[in-house]
Amino acid sequence: MTARGTALLVALLATLAGYLWVVERRPAPAFPAEPAPLLAVPTAAVARVELVEGERRLTAVRGERGWTDAAGRPWSQDPVSDLLAALGALRPLATVDPDPATPGDYGLGPGGRRLELAAADGRPLLALELGERNPAWTGLYARRAGEPAVLLVGGVLAWELEKVRQAAPGGNP
Amino acid sequence: MRLYLRLCAAILAAGALTAAADEQPWTLDASNWEKGKDLLPEPVVKRLQKGEYWFKVVSADPGKFHHNYSQAFWDATEKNAGKYDLDEKTCGLKDKATDKIPDFVFGLPFPQVDKADPKGGCKIAWNFTMAGAMGGGGGATFTLNGVDTGGQFRRIKAFIHTRGYQGRHFGPLKDNPEGLAGEGIGGALEPVDVEGVSTLTKRYWNWEGQDAVWAYVPSTRRARRVNSASRSDPVAGLDIFADDLNCYGGKVEYYQWKLVGEQTILAPLLQPYPFASKSVSPTRQLIDTPYMPAGYEVPNAKGAPWWIQQNLVFVPRPVWVVEGQSSDPYYNFGKVIMYFDKEMYRIYWKQVHNRAGEYFYTAMCGYHFVKNDETFSAVFPNLVVGVNDKTNRAALGGRFQSSFLEQSWDPSYFSLRTLTHMTD
Repeated sequence: MTARGTALLVALLATLAGYLWVVERRPAPAFPAEPAPLLAVPTAAVARVELVEGERRLTAVRGERGWTDAAGRPWSQDPVSDLLAALGALRPLATVDPDPATPGDYGLGPGGRRLELAAADGRPLLALELGERNPAWTGLYARRAGEPAVLLVGGVLAWELEKVRQAAPGGNP
Repeated sequence: MRLYLRLCAAILAAGALTAAADEQPWTLDASNWEKGKDLLPEPVVKRLQKGEYWFKVVSADPGKFHHNYSQAFWDATEKNAGKYDLDEKTCGLKDKATDKIPDFVFGLPFPQVDKADPKGGCKIAWNFTMAGAMGGGGGATFTLNGVDTGGQFRRIKAFIHTRGYQGRHFGPLKDNPEGLAGEGIGGALEPVDVEGVSTLTKRYWNWEGQDAVWAYVPSTRRARRVNSASRSDPVAGLDIFADDLNCYGGKVEYYQWKLVGEQTILAPLLQPYPFASKSVSPTRQLIDTPYMPAGYEVPNAKGAPWWIQQNLVFVPRPVWVVEGQSSDPYYNFGKVIMYFDKEMYRIYWKQVHNRAGEYFYTAMCGYHFVKNDETFSAVFPNLVVGVNDKTNRAALGGRFQSSFLEQSWDPSYFSLRTLTHMTD
């Protein structure tokens, strides 16, 4: 084989190797990252839960003997723990509207329902505005406080909130 | 004195009238939906409000309703008080005397359930299992109908045959070499493209064993073992699941159960009181029941096309509200909320979330009772209306007009041989 032929073969080999490197060995496209759960810290870190619905404010404070309301009356343990477990597992199903012109369409905005979780030192761990159920009733609209995006969250959150309402000690005004 | 007597008579008459008024059937529909908002699961109330559903509400005398189950069953239930406990790890039923799974149980294993008991949910699930098993076995030929807003889009005719080893009247069967709680064969009869597709299920009487399930497809002539978590897969692409039979079709040990509340709910029943059965052989009894036509089958029907139009009544019943959740990663459902009758231990409604916490499905489970005398009774699941609220589609299951109870199946009937030779 002539030197010219050898050079051509080497060039062809280099081209094929380049093709393999660029096309075939290209890193596989990464799956879109799963959104973080609504509550990104362990549920044991939550020391205070507040659910504000209009004039009604439900408070649960973690103490040595379990959850109590602001007046020190005990909550039955499970609904608050169940709510925290749900928040720790639920991830937004979708971002319905990244920046809505009229958040009221989703039941969000001033005077709406709010759920706030804080650590023992008062540090906020989660603050959610809670909106309406979606038309199919499969989820409910929510958004993180201070963020415009409207999220769709699984309907099980509405169920857990209802359990909390029902279990409020002495009406928990 | 006369005035006093007259006053008493007036009070008694008023009381009698009130009682009589309470007994009068009434219709819950869009015009008075507020009366139903605490008597139904929330997604169902939404459809009631929109006029898609309505309910013929019939009161049942509590004492008479109690006796829908035989005296033999209630006597056994009373004797079970204090006999059983639960295995901590699995929620399996445990005989206190031996600390092991009991050899045989008949009646409700937990006659009293305390709402503050952390094991209450699991005890309710065991009562449900044993109440459903009292008939001992039988079968029916039924249909599965896929229905959307345009009407029926698919119909499958199928059958199911079952044999129960636990919970049955008249004591345990003599032979149970495989240590089963129960077994069943089901198969498709129509249309021809699915004819012969069938399954065999064996449920073991133990705390940790999975059901053994085989599926047979005639075109491949092979019976293959399938995962028991497939109970949460749609049946034949319809909005109905194997776990909808009785509103829960799995072993108690498959779920973590949690009692979360109590309320009154409308229980779907063919009629409030039992049907009689007729003997056709020393071991077999037939029960005839009326068909429940749905909207898509009735000209000018009102409401959703899948809503039952006739032969279904709703009896207000006290229920436990119980959450169930499987830890099996292959099981598609997340949190399931079920409404169990506090006395008869049937599940009338369930709401299902997927594993992402999204609500998507409600099933309504209807029943009828069978009783001839106080030595034997049975309760049949006769209807499932499964509604996928995400897709706004539904499936109807059951609605058979004839069913049977069988006390003595051929010992070799529930076998792979039967499964693979069904279409021969």
